[in-house]
Amino acid sequence: MDALRRLTRWFVDPQFEHRKKFLGSLDLFADLSSGDLGQLARSLHARTYRPGEVVFVEGDIGRALFILESGSVELARRSPGGEPVKLYTLKPGEFFGEMALLESLPRSATATAVETSRLHLLYRTKLEALLRSQPRIGTAIMRHLARLLSARLRRVSGALTAASAAPHA
Amino acid sequence: MRERRPLPSLSALVVAGAALYAGYRLRAALAPFVLAAAFAYVLNPAVAYFEGKGLRRAHLVVLGYVAALGLGAWASAGIKAVVVGEIDSLTVNAPTYVGKLQGLAAREESLLTGRLPVPPEVAQRAIGSAVDAGLARVQALPSQILGLVPLLLHALLVPFIGFFFLLDGPGGFDRLIQALPSRYVEQALHLAGEIDRSLGNYVRGLVIAAVVVGAVSFVGLVLLGVDNALAIAALAGATSFLPGLGAVVGAAAGGAMAVYQFGSLWAGAKVLILFGAIKLADDAFLEPLISKRAVHLHVTVYLLALIVGGEMFGFLGLVFAIPAACVLKALFGVVWAWYASETGLAAPFASEAEAVPYV
Repeated sequence: MDALRRLTRWFVDPQFEHRKKFLGSLDLFADLSSGDLGQLARSLHARTYRPGEVVFVEGDIGRALFILESGSVELARRSPGGEPVKLYTLKPGEFFGEMALLESLPRSATATAVETSRLHLLYRTKLEALLRSQPRIGTAIMRHLARLLSARLRRVSGALTAASAAPHA
Repeated sequence: MRERRPLPSLSALVVAGAALYAGYRLRAALAPFVLAAAFAYVLNPAVAYFEGKGLRRAHLVVLGYVAALGLGAWASAGIKAVVVGEIDSLTVNAPTYVGKLQGLAAREESLLTGRLPVPPEVAQRAIGSAVDAGLARVQALPSQILGLVPLLLHALLVPFIGFFFLLDGPGGFDRLIQALPSRYVEQALHLAGEIDRSLGNYVRGLVIAAVVVGAVSFVGLVLLGVDNALAIAALAGATSFLPGLGAVVGAAAGGAMAVYQFGSLWAGAKVLILFGAIKLADDAFLEPLISKRAVHLHVTVYLLALIVGGEMFGFLGLVFAIPAACVLKALFGVVWAWYASETGLAAPFASEAEAVPYV
């Protein structure tokens, strides 16, 4: 039994297991089984960004979703006067750029690595391939993105309604 | 106003052009590496499948090679006996085949001379020159087949180099992505994804087609009692890498062998019917599998790619012409998509349903 356990340990890739565990901890992939996470991990590309390195620039055409595994990434947008306005700083486990999976439109903000950051990229072609070959995985991701879109739209609608209902100063 | 992505500099284009030219000049030396890369590319999905189950790539590749070596050693005795038997049979029967061929040619010549509505000497001269041309082609066949021997010499080198490609897996591509300026990472992934989508299905489909055509040809030829069935089936399978050619080559080689062996045209016709059925099945079942989701090439582009590939790189050029055309098409598609999105030519998604309130 011990020999079998040692043999299994010898065969199993610990880095891959770590990657699967990390992906399984994300809301986006919460509905996926261990086998699905293994298939998904093969579809992601990992890249390390140096501090200050720009991940993408506002106005670039987006084609990938980014998942932050370690480090931190800052999102900033240019004001009408051209000054950068800091929007949000992402922490490990958060993802951004998800709208690129749905449409090839210009990015609405610039993303910059604040410190050495490890990011996983899910490219749209890979998601489309998953939707064809592993519909369960692709559908779970799309369902989560649709829910996220819906939640954000409700929040914006609520904020607009509140703003229009507020007495004008 | 959106910031424009800088265009690749002239020096980058010059370096790329020089690299392509150097690759062309060194094509003979690069051939085993290209074949090894194709070999690794075809086998990679099997490794990646088990890698997706959490197993180490290095262990999988080593185990796979050990298993293949063991299987090869176990099967080699049987295969060797079959190959030696085929060669012996060809050597022993060659004079008989030639005699039968000459007898058949003389018989058909005298029959045709009498039936053709032209003076006998004219008919005899025309038939004689046609037979001579056919015999010349048959005589040239061994030297043409010998021309492929250098490729067979790669039989050991290709799996050896392919071992290292398989061991590294996507590591090389990951290093390239890491080395690229971050702004081009998404473009590079887009291009790699498009190429993999079109090329992957095409190449893997071709391998399946070659194996199926070879196996079915072998069974059919054995059932018809044709000699050298293994050699003819292997030839048909190998030439199936050029879509549609396998059945034609198999029909020509198998038909000629059957006519020589049995001394009747009907025997050759039966082989033609066999390969006709294989071609029909290939068109109906295998071709859709190959072209499914692959880049569809216009027939003129298809032919042009084959002619240019054959002219520049010989037999290997013919094999890799269509995959190279698929890569070029994917490259143009990505460059066009990039240009269209950068210049605002691509229209954003719009729907009348946008006007309906979100409730």
